[in-house]
Amino acid sequence: MKKILAILLVLCLSVGVMSGCGNSNNTPGTDAKKTFVFGDTTFNAENEEPDINPHYAYSGWPCIRYGVGETLMKIADDGTLQPWLAESAVNVNETTWEIVIKDAVCFSNGKKCDAAAVKACFEHLIEVHERAADNLKIASMEADGQKLTIVTSEPNPILMNYLSEAYGCIIDMEVGIPDNGCVVGTGPYVATEVVTDDHVNLVKNTNYWDGEVHIDEITVRTISDGDTLAMALQSGEINAAYGMAYASYPLFENDNYKFTSIQTSRCFWGMVNLHEENPGYSIMSDPAVRKAIALGINKQGFVDVLLNGYGYTATGAFPDSFAFGKGVNTVSYDPAQAKTALEEAGWVDTDGDGIREKDGVKLTIRWLTYPSRQELPLLAESAQATLKEIGIDVQINNTKDHNNIRKDPTAWDIWVSANVNAGLGDPQNFFDTYCLDASIKNSGGHHSDKLEELAAQLRGTFDPDERARIAVEMQQELLDDNSYVFCSFLRMSMIMQSNVTGLEAHTCDFYELTADLDIN
Amino acid sequence: MNETVTVRVQKVKKNGIKARLIFFLILVAVLLLVTIFADKIVPYDPYAQDLSLSRLPPSASHWMGTDQYGRDVFSRVVVGAQTSVFSTLALVGVISVFGTIVGTLCGYYGGALDSIVMRISDVCLAFPGLVFALAIAALLGGGVSNAVIALAVISWPKYARVARSQTLALKNGPFVSAARLSGSSSMQMILRHILPNIIGPILVTAMLDIGTMMMELAGLSFLGLGAQPPTAEWGNMMSGGRSMLQTYPWLVLSPGFAIFLTVVIFNLLGDTVRDYMDPKNSRAR
Amino acid sequence: MKHYALRRLLQLIPILLAITFLSYGMMRIAGSDVVEQKMENTSGTVSQEMIDAAREELGLDKPFIVQYFSWLGNLLRGDMGTSYVSNKPVFSTFVSKLPATLLLTLVSILLTVIISIPLGIWSAIKQNKATDYVIRTASFIGNSLPNFFVSLLLMYLFAIRLNWFPVISKGVSLQSVALPSLTLAIAMSAKYLRQVRATVLDELSKDYVLGAKARGVKFSTTMMKSVMKASLVTIITLLTLSIGSLLGGTAIVESIFMWDGVGKMAVDAINMRDYPIIQAYVMWMAIIYVLVNLITDLSYRYLDPRIRLGGIEQ
Repeated sequence: MKKILAILLVLCLSVGVMSGCGNSNNTPGTDAKKTFVFGDTTFNAENEEPDINPHYAYSGWPCIRYGVGETLMKIADDGTLQPWLAESAVNVNETTWEIVIKDAVCFSNGKKCDAAAVKACFEHLIEVHERAADNLKIASMEADGQKLTIVTSEPNPILMNYLSEAYGCIIDMEVGIPDNGCVVGTGPYVATEVVTDDHVNLVKNTNYWDGEVHIDEITVRTISDGDTLAMALQSGEINAAYGMAYASYPLFENDNYKFTSIQTSRCFWGMVNLHEENPGYSIMSDPAVRKAIALGINKQGFVDVLLNGYGYTATGAFPDSFAFGKGVNTVSYDPAQAKTALEEAGWVDTDGDGIREKDGVKLTIRWLTYPSRQELPLLAESAQATLKEIGIDVQINNTKDHNNIRKDPTAWDIWVSANVNAGLGDPQNFFDTYCLDASIKNSGGHHSDKLEELAAQLRGTFDPDERARIAVEMQQELLDDNSYVFCSFLRMSMIMQSNVTGLEAHTCDFYELTADLDIN
Repeated sequence: MNETVTVRVQKVKKNGIKARLIFFLILVAVLLLVTIFADKIVPYDPYAQDLSLSRLPPSASHWMGTDQYGRDVFSRVVVGAQTSVFSTLALVGVISVFGTIVGTLCGYYGGALDSIVMRISDVCLAFPGLVFALAIAALLGGGVSNAVIALAVISWPKYARVARSQTLALKNGPFVSAARLSGSSSMQMILRHILPNIIGPILVTAMLDIGTMMMELAGLSFLGLGAQPPTAEWGNMMSGGRSMLQTYPWLVLSPGFAIFLTVVIFNLLGDTVRDYMDPKNSRAR
Repeated sequence: MKHYALRRLLQLIPILLAITFLSYGMMRIAGSDVVEQKMENTSGTVSQEMIDAAREELGLDKPFIVQYFSWLGNLLRGDMGTSYVSNKPVFSTFVSKLPATLLLTLVSILLTVIISIPLGIWSAIKQNKATDYVIRTASFIGNSLPNFFVSLLLMYLFAIRLNWFPVISKGVSLQSVALPSLTLAIAMSAKYLRQVRATVLDELSKDYVLGAKARGVKFSTTMMKSVMKASLVTIITLLTLSIGSLLGGTAIVESIFMWDGVGKMAVDAINMRDYPIIQAYVMWMAIIYVLVNLITDLSYRYLDPRIRLGGIEQ
């Protein structure tokens, strides 16, 4: 018996030794190196961000967010453009732009970033990135010292807004897109290692053109699990977090942590599938059903309770803080009116199961959404309950694979996603991406002659007030048809340890880790 | 265990086991009754949301509090038994019956049938359950029943192997040989002499498997391959409430306790059945 | 013996072949077209001509069975294709994730041994006493908690309250492996503890123990010399068998702790429908399984001559 006890003791000790070595390695080094660890739930292949190559899908987002790449212009919180790598951008005529790159700008490898380098970068971008090529409509470019002249194939009033998109990050094409994914940009941090779905290691850019960088080493960890993220921040393994679950907020509402939050144009919204080959076409093509869905979602409750108040209900596609977000109107939550609308259209519950039918077809809709934006499953389950009350059966397909499924016109009835709708400070990109015949993400097969006409007008209009007016009219067109349902806008927050400074939330969600970042 | 072994002590022990067996059988019966009549006995509609009642702590009106949608957690736990307990029982039932039949036939007849079936079972065992669940989900969609199918396909061989090795051992035993000499047909042999003798170990394996299978189903729910919202299912409720462990602990502890209770009841029943059938406990050494 | 081992090895070939065929067929049925999938992952929309050209290039216009054999041929040469998501070779991606999973498995098994064997023996010695009940209740709890929940509790206790171990792994290191391996070890220990207890109880009831007692041999001596020795064979067999299930069972735990191993790779690949990676995972699991089975089988035969004569497997 004693021997067994002795064995147990030895085993306990060995566990103790293991934990002991854990302790010693856990303490930060004594040298003056400043390190920063950032936990992010959204940096992953699922969001089409497998690495930080701005010329691939949405990988430009991590590139700009983590301070590797920078764009010619920066979008301020009020939506206006401010110079960044470019000193100025002048619209010479409808199709010609003259951009002067700041003289001081250089890549992190020390090479000067002149107009020729920017030209080479854009040439590669429009060659390999279809969305960018579509947006920019660049016909030709000419580089002369620091001056870059861009000629577009047709008037493109928001060329500079588009060039401020994440894909517009300027990278050194002499290095190109290396196999290890570490593109060379002009930002305050230099990528040293990229592992998809796991982490990016960054070091201070000693050649940074715009001031001193305070942090020597940064690791951005992809943390897909919300609880792991919360616990990692609690234990101090990460210094700041993006994408914390709302339910965890109370843990950080104390002196040890700081929040930075701002209203964004990230919208939680749904697009109805109107493809004729969809088995649910007979349901979704019924305007009464679409109206009932719009009437049956409790936007206020979703924002107040499920988002802990970190959000704003939406009417149209853009927040009303923008000129192009004002003056649109649509129905709000009204179950009684929704029931009436359905009844009038002939949808009646005949078999008493609480779900309405018409001509033998059950009123069932397939709700496609995805989990990486934690608000989306909450919205889905909340809407499922409120829609059931009015007799609509909602089947939720909450899958990381939504981007492939939405391309199958027979696999869903409403696709609910979260997108930054006015990230560029301008409304056009939203319509171009989601609502028109030529839109890449018009997965619902929507078509409206009026919308096409207005979009053409918008593309040729340079006056901001006039652009806002057209955008409002276009939104109203979408809303009147109820084929697009806008639920709420996100009040985006990042939570950090209280000794972190210089980490600020921005409306367009592009700028996170900047040269201002510091730990005291 | 240091007392002298006598027949008398064995008898007392046997009676004790019998009492325990009855006790646990009653507990299982109660659990099953609650499960069957779950919809009738819950105080609230487990699916009715009321955002004004969101995340209330346990109280007299909501014994286990409410979840973020304002649904009554107690009602959800009780109704969740229907999904969790029934799907687990169905799963274990199907794989144990199917596995036993296949295993017994293989063990009895041997030969080519045996080799082929055993190779198939090797393939099933070697195929990762997660990938199988994914493929099933991709083909048939997510949901509890599909998760059950996926787990069934990869778990039946365990029972087939137990049944097969037991049958092999019995086949060459004296009483089966005797029965064969007396002219019983193969079917009679299996039904009369082999199945009754191997049912014990199978039953015990099945009882002890209930906990494991419940965990496997919960794991699939965690990955989004099991029960779909708003279905009340314990694994699903636990994985959904997990982020609120520190802030609203009742959301995850309530279904967790339900799982614990069920697993314990079935495990103890399994243990007791094993003790009851153990020949060491029924005759003096 | 040699002859038997060779025969068993040969038997593995059809099993592995069947698994390759099954997994290839299943992925083709379950997944959308490989080409479209790949192109959709790399760019926006694609034209039909581009798809056709790529299909021809990859040989996808040929019949299924031809495609399967060419895929199999590549597989045998160690070429498992490239990931749809990262565009990197599958084989090297897989190999780079392997050490992490091996370490996790190894440490988990060690912890399981450390936890389950002493507790199991203790519980057996104290059968039906308070200690026994406490240990068994603990094993029930361990057996009825989903591992995603155990991981949360451990994170809370050891990383936040005690600050001993990190929540998220920082590369492959001993302190990072502590919590994920403990999570796995708790579930396994709960299971094995009961089996250890049963085995030891079984040994204790044998005549030689009673005989030794009658002869006045000290109980602890009997315990160490005979009972432990006899129980160990069973226990070691159980543990070898569990290596297989462990190597595959790490997926959820690896994902939660951000442990960059094969299991997390599989979960990510499954989420993204990254079929080449999934195939690699299936093959890995299959090979592990059949090898572990073979080794157990052979060692049984080696240890127990009765099986050798009787020809009974298992």
